Amino acid sequence: MPLIIVSADDFKQGDEISQKVAGTLGYRYLGRDLLHYVATENQVSEEELARALDEAPGLLTRRARRQRLLGLIEAACLNVLLDDNVVCFGLAAHMYVRAVSHALKVRIINEPEQRAEELAKAEGLSVDKARKQVLRQTKEERRWSEEAYNLDQTDASLYDMVISLGTLELDKAVEIISDTVGYRKFQPMTYSRKLMQDKALAANVRRELMGQFPEIRVEANDGTVVVFIQSLKKDQRKKQELVRQIAGGLPGVRHVEVHIIRDLVGQAAQSSR
Amino acid sequence: MAIITISRGSYSKGREVAEKVAQRMGYQVVSRDVLLEASEKFHIPEVKLVRAIHDAPSILERFTHGKYCYLAFIRAALSERAVKDDLVYHGLAGHLLLKGVPHVLKVRIIADLEARVAAEMKRENLTQNQACSLLIKDDAERRKWTQSLYGVDPWDASLYDLVIHINQLTVDDAVDFIVQAAGRECFKTTVEAQQKMQDLALACRVKASLAEDDCVDIAVTSEFGNVLVYTKQDARKLHRMEDKLKLLTKKVPEINHLEVRSGQAFPPEAC
Repeated sequence: MPLIIVSADDFKQGDEISQKVAGTLGYRYLGRDLLHYVATENQVSEEELARALDEAPGLLTRRARRQRLLGLIEAACLNVLLDDNVVCFGLAAHMYVRAVSHALKVRIINEPEQRAEELAKAEGLSVDKARKQVLRQTKEERRWSEEAYNLDQTDASLYDMVISLGTLELDKAVEIISDTVGYRKFQPMTYSRKLMQDKALAANVRRELMGQFPEIRVEANDGTVVVFIQSLKKDQRKKQELVRQIAGGLPGVRHVEVHIIRDLVGQAAQSSR
Repeated sequence: MAIITISRGSYSKGREVAEKVAQRMGYQVVSRDVLLEASEKFHIPEVKLVRAIHDAPSILERFTHGKYCYLAFIRAALSERAVKDDLVYHGLAGHLLLKGVPHVLKVRIIADLEARVAAEMKRENLTQNQACSLLIKDDAERRKWTQSLYGVDPWDASLYDLVIHINQLTVDDAVDFIVQAAGRECFKTTVEAQQKMQDLALACRVKASLAEDDCVDIAVTSEFGNVLVYTKQDARKLHRMEDKLKLLTKKVPEINHLEVRSGQAFPPEAC
């Protein structure tokens, strides 16, 4: 049965729709509760994990730290999504579960004017001020996804479907999403399951290595893991050995290749000393 | 019953979706014939109307108001069709031309560039590079046109009730979703919704008639046949417009009452 991955411009609505879809279909609901597990396993705070999912890094927030937290969430989430029959919301899965044919990706949005009116009512603002806030929120949403994943999460082409709650009711959105479960193209196939397994493996390896190699990139295919790290020439061998040692010991990894991307900034800094 | 507008880029299978939805629901499907009607009614060559709808206005045209007039004609022709209800309309920015009508289900169909390029290569016998360049240019033109005339980005998903990506989802899947959504209460033609559509059609008709006489920079509203024409015209042009409007009031029985408001801000819901 397909995975259903929901993204929304209103967290409460996205959460409600996702839970209702899961309830209708008898699927597991995977949401922000996962953060408690991630926090406990990795000795980080739940609040910091939630902030990493909601806020673009500011001047005082290190990008590397934020990417590490997102990497932890991604690994935990993908491990759960290896099972079928899951509805996932609030964990940015729409950003990293890509090209998996049995994952139905849906975005739920509201008309900006409607959002502004509701915000004005909820917070006692003028409609004009609320409109500006809604615009700012949309820009922030975009900025967050572009900084974290190099993608604009408001771009409709990332999804199979975008549903606006301007005229369609919430329950209608639940119905539309639930009805796609039966579509043949969203049934898990051998190749799509394999792709999910590769993604989960790559995320697990990345999780283990990110602490020491913040700008790491990992790809996996059938147990062969290719790791891209930055390094100065003089540290190359040592780092390659370390990566092989750590990654090679992880479950599911049969072979590790390490590719070095030249650390040009570090090199320039070294040569100027 | 509903009015369904389907917006799409070139070779995004939008036409196919529209035709299948219309067939399934027993609706009429409309696209370029609206241009033909506008062309016959307002004696404008069809090619000019096609360019009005597809190309962004040039700086010169912003001064001569050609495209703005043509749009008024197109909008009048479309809204007259939409009054008859049970309509599927594709292309031509229907979601913007029928703005404010409550029982319009606004859909956008998108497809990956690779699939669109392949379709254009096959149909127009082009190389991959040629097809890709043409599509990218066409997309950019449509986007620019909508942004310059309506101040909105047609790629903005919030303009639509449903955006369907033809990739994993097939044309038939898209048709299912649209038919399902159109069956909802909120898209049924109520008495109030039909009245709004009639008001829009009347307002568009008045505006198009004035545009024929080169009366531009006006906005028109209608409520139960009570028509208000908002204008920024100077006194001389205003006088000529008022004469025209007197004639129109006699010719169009649907107009109960007509007033001209000069120097006031155009209401956002005005045509």
